[in-house]
Amino acid sequence: MYRKQVRRRRAVLALLIVGSFALLTITYGSGSNGVQRGVSAIFSPVQSAADGALKPARDLINWFDQTFDARGRNERLQKELQEVREESIGASAALAENAQLRKLLKLDRGGAIPPGYEPVTGRVIARSPTVWFADVTIDVGSDDGVEANDPVINGDGLVGKVAAVTGGSAQVALLADHSSAVTGRVVPAGVQGVVRPNVGDPGDLILDFIDSTKRVHRGQAVVTAGWRATEIESDFPPNLPIGEVAEAPIVEQEASQQVHVRPYADLRDLDFVQVLTGGSRG
Amino acid sequence: MILTPKILVRLVAIMLLGVILQLSFFSQVTIFHVSPDLLPSLVVALGLLGGTMTGAVSGFSVGFLLNCLLVQPLGGGSLVLLCTGYLAGLFRERVEVRSPLVPPLLCFGLTVFAELGFGAVELTLATDVAVSALVVRDILVQGVFAFFGGWLIYLGLRRALRPALVDEHPVRPSRRPTVLGA
Repeated sequence: MYRKQVRRRRAVLALLIVGSFALLTITYGSGSNGVQRGVSAIFSPVQSAADGALKPARDLINWFDQTFDARGRNERLQKELQEVREESIGASAALAENAQLRKLLKLDRGGAIPPGYEPVTGRVIARSPTVWFADVTIDVGSDDGVEANDPVINGDGLVGKVAAVTGGSAQVALLADHSSAVTGRVVPAGVQGVVRPNVGDPGDLILDFIDSTKRVHRGQAVVTAGWRATEIESDFPPNLPIGEVAEAPIVEQEASQQVHVRPYADLRDLDFVQVLTGGSRG
Repeated sequence: MILTPKILVRLVAIMLLGVILQLSFFSQVTIFHVSPDLLPSLVVALGLLGGTMTGAVSGFSVGFLLNCLLVQPLGGGSLVLLCTGYLAGLFRERVEVRSPLVPPLLCFGLTVFAELGFGAVELTLATDVAVSALVVRDILVQGVFAFFGGWLIYLGLRRALRPALVDEHPVRPSRRPTVLGA
């Protein structure tokens, strides 16, 4: 009797392990599937309701965390403010000149959203709990016009792109997710590279494969390059702000062809995001 | 654990509630820059109360639901959490240590194990990614959260599943002895 019970237990365990591997093999890289769409359709309203109901408690806890964090940031920001003040005079003149040129060329689009893209605003309703997967679930999906690979931004800059989509929700792979790779361009240096994550540290991205003969300096901005070949093009339109160069040691630029980038968007604290739907792919 | 239909319903409700709370609340708050991950603790508590099979099946189910709701590739979360639940159940069945510190310590250890497992799954699937040393700090902090959170989860689950637990005596209201003629 006992042996039979042990055999049955082992069989169940083996079945579960084999099942897990089979699921992983079948579903990896295939986006969302029928089961996920079904489960998501059932639970999305529950998640949205839970998200709304728990927001005050969440905000309270995050307020405490951010207050402690703000103390440390204050010193760094004071230093940065000094540097930015010095740069702002030149930047103001450049901005005025830029505005005039935009008017002249009729390029003023009145916003940072590239032409042809329709922004769809979504709220983050779930977030991956492990430190390894940097992705969030938002409450807009294919019913709202969202498609896989659509770029996702917030008020600060690029956040990531849609990895999988169901009717009422979408999974956004953040810039810090292991699957993320965005072609970026340093401005004004013009150096291009691939912005990749440093897994486990959402405040640090790596601009990899840069031209080691050109110099990149700390504080320079990194935007999407938005390349286009004959039949294929980048998922990201050009000039979406990604972040600024945080560390650019010459040794690392020459030896590893990479610099460190601090994303403008706080990838740990996302509430509302905009999915750029349509575009030239649409 | 004695599994009756009523207990099964309770188990399913506990797992659903756990996953929804994790995704909608705990994953979206940060304490010391880290979001608590209490799902491994939930699975550990179920394994400790129910044994290897309960731990493994609940781990598989929680992982499956998690992957479904996050629209992630299925199987990875299930594999890691089923191993976590199975190990917790194995501890209950093989080791005779009865100390109130066992559940929180196991939650700490097995949460660290689960996070390393998630990392192993990711690094197996990903190609050539850089990993920050901060991961180690984050995992240890998550372990500390699991120590305290897991302890509360274990106590709560023991209360919720009391009728099904083999080694728990049902609580009866104390009755005064009847004295005839009093």
